[in-house]
Amino acid sequence: MIAVVDYGLGNVRSVVSAVSRLGHAAVLTRDPGELALADKLILPGVGAFGEAMERLRAFGLVTALRRLVEDEEKPILGICLGMQLLCEESLEFGRHEGLGWIPATVRRLEPGPGLRLPHVGWNELFQTAPSPLFAGIPEDALFYHVHSYYPDCRDPALVVGESDYGGRFPTCLQKGHVFGVQFHPEKSQRHGLTLLGNFLALDLPDTAAAAVPALSAPPGGRA
Amino acid sequence: MLRKRLVTVLTFNQGVLFRTRNFIPDHRYTANFVDAWSVDEIVLLDVTRDPAPCRPHFQAAVSWFAERCFVPLTVGGGVRSLADFEKLLGLGADKVAINTGAVERPELIAEASRRYGAQCVVLSLDAAPHGDGGYRVRTRFGTRDSGMDPAAWAARAEALGAGEILVQSVERDGTLEGYDNRLHRLVSDAVSIPVLGCGGAGNWAHFAEGFEEGGLSAVCTTNIYHFTEASVKSAKAFLKARGHAVR
Repeated sequence: MIAVVDYGLGNVRSVVSAVSRLGHAAVLTRDPGELALADKLILPGVGAFGEAMERLRAFGLVTALRRLVEDEEKPILGICLGMQLLCEESLEFGRHEGLGWIPATVRRLEPGPGLRLPHVGWNELFQTAPSPLFAGIPEDALFYHVHSYYPDCRDPALVVGESDYGGRFPTCLQKGHVFGVQFHPEKSQRHGLTLLGNFLALDLPDTAAAAVPALSAPPGGRA
Repeated sequence: MLRKRLVTVLTFNQGVLFRTRNFIPDHRYTANFVDAWSVDEIVLLDVTRDPAPCRPHFQAAVSWFAERCFVPLTVGGGVRSLADFEKLLGLGADKVAINTGAVERPELIAEASRRYGAQCVVLSLDAAPHGDGGYRVRTRFGTRDSGMDPAAWAARAEALGAGEILVQSVERDGTLEGYDNRLHRLVSDAVSIPVLGCGGAGNWAHFAEGFEEGGLSAVCTTNIYHFTEASVKSAKAFLKARGHAVR
């Protein structure tokens, strides 16, 4: 069973629909007990970083996710804002602390003159390092993006995919059993469903977890 | 490179998919075929004049699309409050289009943007030419002159937190004569967020002109696929040949 974390922000229904379409049972929940039963977690979300962290805290989800992801090593996929929440901090509307699993600061895109923000639409995913998420996805496949902020990752080894909007920036992050994508696989038709299916099909102890560094607690302590 | 988008706008009247001309529902069109696997985005608009009794039918249509189409879904029509946002997002909308509701109470843009993020808030701006040579924003299904200049309203909406602007030409709607690119250019030059243009597309060259002359990030159609057997794919082949980056 796949649990889609429901903290009341963003279009979570489409994530659930996509998971169901891929033949997996999906529950939309904010109940820690139910999250604990899931094989994998998906953290979706659109909106503002600070508000999202506040909601996660208010629902007791920060504590629950720490236990499930850090102690039980449950695989998690963050999508869009959900991916940014996996990072240490965001500079959107002030400075906000995130879940801290990926050593990255979420910053505003500065694409330069003539390029509009938000970055909305279909853009390439450049596969900069091998990832089990990319199985069956052609190089430079297009994915649907809608965002103004991106994860500025301090450890290049954790960046497996990038896009280009007035300059390259990370869109796919991977650290052990923690995965994040800036684009919306659930809104990216065939290739999006393939990527999502790859995450759902992951058998981590044999594949990704062995190939990438293990997850460690973030510097600076826990929220 | 970010691709230019082809967006299909589907209008619903009394819960039934409709085509329109000059914003007036036209019964001749009943069937529809959306090539959901090559269109880049879908917009669903409820254009029912007295929406309350038919709202459940429209909402059922929103759910139907949300469950089957794995592309971004924008939904609008009669949105007046954050509760309306909540309802549509809960049905599976990715973005919500606000039009008359924003003109009547511009703070709705700011409130929705703060809660759901700018990317969720699409200002739907209907405009028609004015006797003074400019344009005016229309509300209430294009029937009421708000007195506002489209470029100024677009810029204000961006400042309030809108993430995209969908500009619709009341005059060109359903005519297949081409976009009003003077209108689209006025708006796209006034803001730095993406602008989607709608109203008047009758052939693939009109799409290219929307990008080239209108400065659009996305070209929308409400009617063209209803009349032609040509698909979105053929439109994209045409645009690629003309040097536009499309998916």
